[in-house]
Amino acid sequence: MSYDEWFRTDRLPHIYCAGCGNGTIINCTLAAVDQMGWKKEDTVFVSGIGCSSRAPGYILTDSLHTTHGRALAFATGVKMAKPAFNVVVFTGDGDLAAIGGNHFIHACRRNIDMTVVCMNNQIYGMTGGQGSPTTPLKCLSSTTPYGCTEPPFDLCELATAAGANYVARWTSYHVKELEKAVKVGLETPGFSFIEVLVQCPTAFGRRNKFRQVMDHVEFLKSHSLLKAKRDRLLDQGQPIPEDLFVVGELTKRNRPAMGVKP
Amino acid sequence: MTRTEFWQGNTACAEGALAAGCNFFGGYPITPSTEVAELMAAKLPKKGGVFIQMEDEIASMASIIGASWTGARAMTATSGPGFSLMMENIGFAAMTETPCVVVNVQRGGPSTGQPTMSAQGDMMQVRFGSHGDYAVIALSPATVQEMFELTAKAFNLADKYRTPVFLMADETVGHMREKILVPDSVEKIGRKPFVPGTPPFKVTDPDLIPGFPTFGTGQHVHVTGLTHDERGYPAATNPPLHAALVKRLVDKIENARDEMADYDIVNPDAEQVFVAYGGPVRTVMQVMHDKKDTNIGFLRIRTVWPFPEKAFAKFKNAQRFLVPEMNLGQIAREIQRHVKVPVVPIPKLGGELHTPAELVKVLEGKA
Amino acid sequence: MKLAIDENRCKGCNLCTKVCPYKIFREGKKLNRKGVAVPELDRPERCTNCRLRNLYGRQLCGVCQLTCPDQAIHWVEEEPYEPHKVAIEY
Repeated sequence: MSYDEWFRTDRLPHIYCAGCGNGTIINCTLAAVDQMGWKKEDTVFVSGIGCSSRAPGYILTDSLHTTHGRALAFATGVKMAKPAFNVVVFTGDGDLAAIGGNHFIHACRRNIDMTVVCMNNQIYGMTGGQGSPTTPLKCLSSTTPYGCTEPPFDLCELATAAGANYVARWTSYHVKELEKAVKVGLETPGFSFIEVLVQCPTAFGRRNKFRQVMDHVEFLKSHSLLKAKRDRLLDQGQPIPEDLFVVGELTKRNRPAMGVKP
Repeated sequence: MTRTEFWQGNTACAEGALAAGCNFFGGYPITPSTEVAELMAAKLPKKGGVFIQMEDEIASMASIIGASWTGARAMTATSGPGFSLMMENIGFAAMTETPCVVVNVQRGGPSTGQPTMSAQGDMMQVRFGSHGDYAVIALSPATVQEMFELTAKAFNLADKYRTPVFLMADETVGHMREKILVPDSVEKIGRKPFVPGTPPFKVTDPDLIPGFPTFGTGQHVHVTGLTHDERGYPAATNPPLHAALVKRLVDKIENARDEMADYDIVNPDAEQVFVAYGGPVRTVMQVMHDKKDTNIGFLRIRTVWPFPEKAFAKFKNAQRFLVPEMNLGQIAREIQRHVKVPVVPIPKLGGELHTPAELVKVLEGKA
Repeated sequence: MKLAIDENRCKGCNLCTKVCPYKIFREGKKLNRKGVAVPELDRPERCTNCRLRNLYGRQLCGVCQLTCPDQAIHWVEEEPYEPHKVAIEY
């Protein structure tokens, strides 16, 4: 694979669990970055804290592994100080939506020219499986042992409402579509947000009846509803099943962006 | 060549930063430091720098760290409540050895306190505010001239020692207007150059400072707040490595305390010695001017951290050290650790400077 | 080309086995030195990239490689005269 050169091969195999969706997402993102033809010197990866955020430690570019939730603030500093850099941010659902919620909406509002890949495993994986703002209702986690009672965020709707230029959602099953979506995000000036629903077999899967890794991936595949189909159902006046989530390119627009490469 | 100006302290601070080549300011408005941000917003873009108002102080500190890694000279300005918010990222800057300048124009605390009145209540927080062991450099200006000079010096210290440097002003000095002689240019000392191909956090020099591998120069450096080895990779479960790393971060600053020490001594043979920094310096200067007594000494400190402990030995006949502070004795407590004679803290809360009469009362033992 | 799984990186999750459109893998039975049951190639002649990459000059399919969380899958050129099963194309 031509994107193999982007890895710090002296650090592989990485710390991710067997079957972790994060590894898949890193592959797709790097494949897209490789297709853009960027140079390693001009690319900076920024991340917060969590399993998702360990990714830049395995990528052979300048990278900032920052404090919990603040990845977007650090990335804003990097991008505004030197707009010539290509900035890609890896975060997780807790890092982005819980502690990082404020920075998330402001980065979307400012429409800073960067790409954010959110690996949403609907749980806090690194610290042992606590509930996150995207944990679905009634799901078990170590801090919601009686089922989650809080309604979860829809991160893509948040990003769209706050003003991001490009918003897409895919899962770790849809590798080819994800690679294309990340590539479009990298090309689009302004804030590109790609949410990826991934499996966490160790923390989420184990507690929520996904005994095998593939069970969870099957669940993600069968419960994803393509945007085109959703639009068709709406046109025909048919109801959309509650437990499905929409995947695809959800928003693409051309709002004025900040920090675009001159 | 210098020119004479009549400036506010905050204005002098911002101008000092601009003279030192500051090209990134990420801040959040907070009384009494807002004027620094406003002046930077007006002047930085004209000099090709970047001003961005972030959504909160946490993001401000984060953005200046990110900017510093791209090679920019970055600063932010805040006050007490914002300073408390910045603590986590200050720890990150200390751990990753990122040069940056944080101006704290102190105000009455705790909590929202007295936004428009003066205090010096953050002197211990600047040293020990973030979790874990680390060392900082903190400078304390007492005049508008020093606001200019010490801000410029802060950038040089930050770049040289690869650490966040704090300018601990107070609302008195920040908001007062005074005559200042502005030099045409200031000396710039840059970051230690990085030898390409070597591990980014490997230190071979006795000053314990690593070279700075700026982003974009092809060094592919991974910067993390986790305990890291020489290559910058996380190695959090390695006890001797962590101990060595933290010790180096502290020793890097503390070993250089003598060369960084910046203080003035008046009447070293005196028996009663005033020790002051920041706003109270002005009151002590008035007392010295009124009394004209060679038995009253004065130690005027500009570098509060690392603490200039050797300065006290220069007062060989000192019987008492009198420490006026606008807090409940934070630095007096530190002085007590280093001297054998009694240390008399003269705390003043409420937001106003000490009056000369109050200091004279303590001097004459009538307080 | 033939598909090779890097035993040093594979953690035995078997995602490749499940996502391959041509079902060329099967789950491994033997544990290797790391204690991992690395998937085996059951029907490698059906792998499109193995068969046709040299003909088309670019990567084909590659879903297993993109999906593998451990970056353990890559293709290598075969030695000359190395025997391998061929699927008959009509």
